[in-house]
This record gives sequence, C-alpha cells and structure tokens, in this order.
Amino acid sequence: MTASKKIVLLGHFGVGKTSLVRRFVEDTFSDNYKVTIGVHILKKEVKLPENQINLIIWDIEGSEDITRTRSSYLLGSHGFIYVFDTTRKSTYENLAADLEHIRSNYNDVPVLVVGNKSDLVTRAHLRENKQHFSLAQYFSSAKTGENVETLFEDLTKKLIE
Amino acid sequence: MLEAYKKQFLSPKVQFIVISEKGDILDSDDVLFPFKKEKNIIHCHPFFESVIPLLNHTENSLSFSCVHIGEKICDINCKTFRDQDPLIIIHDLTDHYQSLQTVTQKRNETVIESEILTLHNTYLQEKEAFKRTFIANFSHEIRNPLTGVFSFTEMLEKTSLSDEQYDLVEVVKALCQDLNIMINDILDLSKIEVGKFAVKNEIFNFTELLETTDFIYGTKARQKKLQFRMHVDKKLPKYIEGDKTRIKQVLTNVIENAIKFTEEGHIDLYVKLNHKRANKVNIQFEITDTGIGIPKKHINDIFTSFTQVHKDNKYSGTGLGLTIVKNLVTLMQGEIAVESEPGKGTSIKFNLRLKFPINYKEPQKKDRDDNKVLFNPKKKHNILLVEDNKISQIIVLKILSSQGAFYLDIAENGQQAMERVEETQYDLILLDIRLPDVTGYELAPVIRSLPEKKYAKIPIVALSGSLMGDNKTKYKKSAMNDVLQKPFQEQQLLKTLHKFLK
Repeated sequence: MTASKKIVLLGHFGVGKTSLVRRFVEDTFSDNYKVTIGVHILKKEVKLPENQINLIIWDIEGSEDITRTRSSYLLGSHGFIYVFDTTRKSTYENLAADLEHIRSNYNDVPVLVVGNKSDLVTRAHLRENKQHFSLAQYFSSAKTGENVETLFEDLTKKLIE
Repeated sequence: MLEAYKKQFLSPKVQFIVISEKGDILDSDDVLFPFKKEKNIIHCHPFFESVIPLLNHTENSLSFSCVHIGEKICDINCKTFRDQDPLIIIHDLTDHYQSLQTVTQKRNETVIESEILTLHNTYLQEKEAFKRTFIANFSHEIRNPLTGVFSFTEMLEKTSLSDEQYDLVEVVKALCQDLNIMINDILDLSKIEVGKFAVKNEIFNFTELLETTDFIYGTKARQKKLQFRMHVDKKLPKYIEGDKTRIKQVLTNVIENAIKFTEEGHIDLYVKLNHKRANKVNIQFEITDTGIGIPKKHINDIFTSFTQVHKDNKYSGTGLGLTIVKNLVTLMQGEIAVESEPGKGTSIKFNLRLKFPINYKEPQKKDRDDNKVLFNPKKKHNILLVEDNKISQIIVLKILSSQGAFYLDIAENGQQAMERVEETQYDLILLDIRLPDVTGYELAPVIRSLPEKKYAKIPIVALSGSLMGDNKTKYKKSAMNDVLQKPFQEQQLLKTLHKFLK
C-alpha cells in the first residue's frame, strides 16, 4: 500500500506557493497572481527508486506573521516547505525567526527552505542578500520549473528516512 | 414561511456525513457533495485522507476553516463521540469567502506593488549613488592633469614668447577654462541632485554684474555679427543680496545658448523689477533670441540632463547647461518658462526672489594691484606639501619659488608627512585629500593631536580635486583651516597662504 504524507507550504502571500504546487502537480504556470484564501489541498504520487508516496500537499494562504497561521492547517504535517520571494525583502527578512518558530513547535518535522522567483534576480542580488539567502536549500522558479521537481522529491525522501 | 426560507437558503448549505473510525461512509445526506457513492471518505478528497488519521487522536472535534473542496469553499467540522460514530459537518460558505477573497486580492496586490516599487527605488538609488561616486572620482582624476596644464600654461605665458606662441598659449588657456567649466557643470549637477548644493547670500553690486554681462556678451555677439541688447529697469536696486556666482552662471548659460543657436539677428536681455517689498525683491529676467527655435515636442526636454534638442554637430555641448539653470532658479525660489517657435526664435523667462540691503554703504574700491599677493623674500616661511601627484608637486614648487619667500618640503604619503612634521617646525601644511595610504580628513586630526603645542595651531590647507558632497564645514570638522579646489591658479594659492602667514 502506498503511504500518504501531508506536507504544508508556508510563507508570505505572493511568494509563489500556489505556483510551485501547480508546476509540480499539473506542470502549468500562470503569471497572473490570484490570492489563496484558506487552503487548497492537492495530491500527487511521487515515485522513488524504492518507494511510492502519495504527497498530500496543503497549499495554505500566505501570512506575514507565521505565528498567526491557523494551527489546524499544520496539524499532522509530515513536512514543510517554507517559500520566500527572492525579489521581496519583506518575505525573507524574518526568515531565521520564522524557521526558529517552526522548529520549536514542530521539532521533528523536516523543513525545506526555498527562494522562489529565481528567474527574476541577478547573481549580484543573491550575493548582496547572502546573509538571508544562505538559509535556503533551494532557489526555484515556478515559471521556468527550475528545481521544482527536485525540492518536492528531496522532501519526500526526507519524509521516509 | 420562515421554515420555507430556512429550507431554501440554509439547509442546502450544510452536509452531514457519518463515518466509521477508518473513514468508511456510513451515511451522508449528500446535500453538497455526492459522497455516498464512495465506500471510504478518503477517496472523496485528499483533505479527508490527511484528516481521518487524526480523528483517532482527537477527543472532541477538529475544525477547519476555508477549505476548498471542488468548486466550493467550506468550513469543516469533524466530531468524535465516545459511544457513537464520528460525524463530519460541511458548511458551504463559498459566497462569504469569495467576497473575502476579492478584498484580500486587492490588499495583497497593493502591498506587493508597493514593495516592488520600493525595491525598484532602492535599485535606482544605488545606481545613482554609484553614478555620483563615479563622477566625484572621475572629476578628481581629471582635475589633477587639468591643474597641471592650466598652471604650466600660466607659467609658459610669463616666459618670453613670440606673438604666435603667445596666441597659441591663450588658446590652450581658453580650452582649459572651457574644460574646467564642463567639469564644474557636472559636479554642480551632482551636488544639486543630492541636495548638497547651497546658494550663498552675499551683498553684491547687481548693476556691475549686468554691465559686465552686457560687455562680455556684446563682444561675443559682435564676433558672430549679432546684436546683444540689454534693457534694464531703472527701478532695480543697485545692490542685491544673493548668490552672485550662481546668478551669473544662470545668465551666462542662457545667453551663451541664445548666441549659440542664433545665426542672424539679435539677442535681448530684459531685466525687470516684478515687485519690491521691505528688503525683498522679485526680479524677472527674459532672454529672447532670433535663433533656430525649438520644436514644440522638444520644449520640455531642454531642461533634462544630457539632452540636446539640436543634435547637429555644429552645436557642441554637454546638454547640462539648462538643467543646471532650472535647478539653480528653483534653488533661488524662482520659476522658469520657455516659449519658442522654430525658425523665429526662443524666449526664456525666469524670476528670482532675492533680498536687497537697505541703507547700504558702498565699499571703497581697492587699487587693482592690491589684489596681487606678493610675499617679502626677506621673511621665509616653512611649508610642507603633502601630495603624491608629481604634477601638483611641481606646480606648487614653481608658484612658491616665484616668490622667493618659502622653504618647501614634500611628503608623498601620510607616513612621510608625520615624519616631516615631527622633524621640522612648519608654518603651514598643504594637504592633499586623497593620499595613497590615508585621507586628508584622517591625517589632519592626527597631526593636531601630536603632544607638542605647536601642532595644535599650525594652519592646514586642504587641496581637493573635488568638493563633491563636501563643504568647508567638513574640512573644518577635520581640523583643517581652509580648502583649495584644484585646479587652482597662482594667485588663489598665494592669497590662501597670505591669509595664514601675514
């Protein structure tokens, strides 16, 4: 039987959480921003060499203050993807504190940090914000598809470790 | 009646589902979703797949707001009982959440747009800062060789030259002055843009300024077979309180432009009194020409930096003149307007809000030779020049040696300067601001802080390639007494020395 794992995408509004999920699940992308309210839940089967996992992806509404995220959405999560927008400072300036909050409340739950919209920033910008960006494991672009598949697969691997 | 409404509007919005602990559907009224056809609720939607495993660990109930199930947006309540099967209640609140979505969408879009604008603004500011630093450095680098050319030309002019050689030297001098004006224009504009440009408030002879303008541009216009005519309102005060240099700069730029773009006819300068109250005076200037004019679509471009409306090579220039004019007029609380008709001519009108002194006593004119500083060769002064640039060293050396009143020591960096200062008692230090190992701002306070008392009072004059972003206060704060901007002329240096050595 294929195991199911719940993962939740966290981060400010407009950082591209929904776009990442759409790219991963449906392989589509739209430049038009449509706000997410509440939660959309999608499912995708991830095939690994030795396992097969049903990822149940909770794409929740963005929040500037992670402590105000509805706790019911996070209940029973097996993994988190924290997404920030590499072009908007407000979405990553509190990254360290946000990660600290997640780790202190969900100790054993793996978290992957992703800087999205990497197609819009220059190398110089990445260098200038090294202090914040060094906390990210991935830089992705839902638009080009860069690293999208990789980050979901890598998180899945972590979930079954 | 009420029951009928409730049935119509309330009931269809709520669905009840009874499930087993494993999620098998035992009963459902299927008011919202046709779940009954499925055996287990986890096949109905992935939401239930992640929630059902939690029910076994829940004592009472789990509530989830704003969950998207198909096309509907619902609140879902999962209730567990001690002796009954779990119950799931789904409330369809699509209408409510959709209106919330519209509001949130607008709010988020505004925030994101403003953040992107801020980022863009920061990017532009950084670009501007880079541009300003580049201009400051560039002007510094260009001033050193220019100082050299200028000073050596002045020295060459004093040697025995044939008439032809003298004329050639005059041409070199004039070109140097043009180049110096261009550099100053660029620096002025940079200073205005960063808000570090201040206009002075000094009493000066306004009539004399106008007479000089009339003389200079009368001559220049005649060389081009044009007529320069000045019309001055007799009610204007003779003395004005304002920034003479900047008023002259505005007039010069506008009149030079008028002459440049006029091939035949005349240039008129009208200076009128708009009004005078107490010690305040509003003066209107209007410069009209019979030149080539400006097409209507380009009228607004003439005050934009680096923009030249007439791109013909015949009309040279940086395109900065009128930008500086507009900024200077604004700084002097005035307004500027332009009217033009291609082929007929242009009229530039501006007014300045100035002050004038009441009951002002005219200063007595000094003899011209009084302005020339000469030192007594019998009294020698010890000068230390801290300068790494060879050309600047030779210039200062030549100027000082012409007086026969100085001993000059040269240090090429901060370390050498400190060694010299500790060895010798100097009467004055000329200190370049940019040295290879230290800046003048850093070195001056170190000299001042040496333990012996003599160092506390020794005059230190800064030699600066650029006054970009700096002002005399900054030099004074760094324990320097004065500043000389490169390229300086012989008399400027001697006058500065005289001020501290008399």
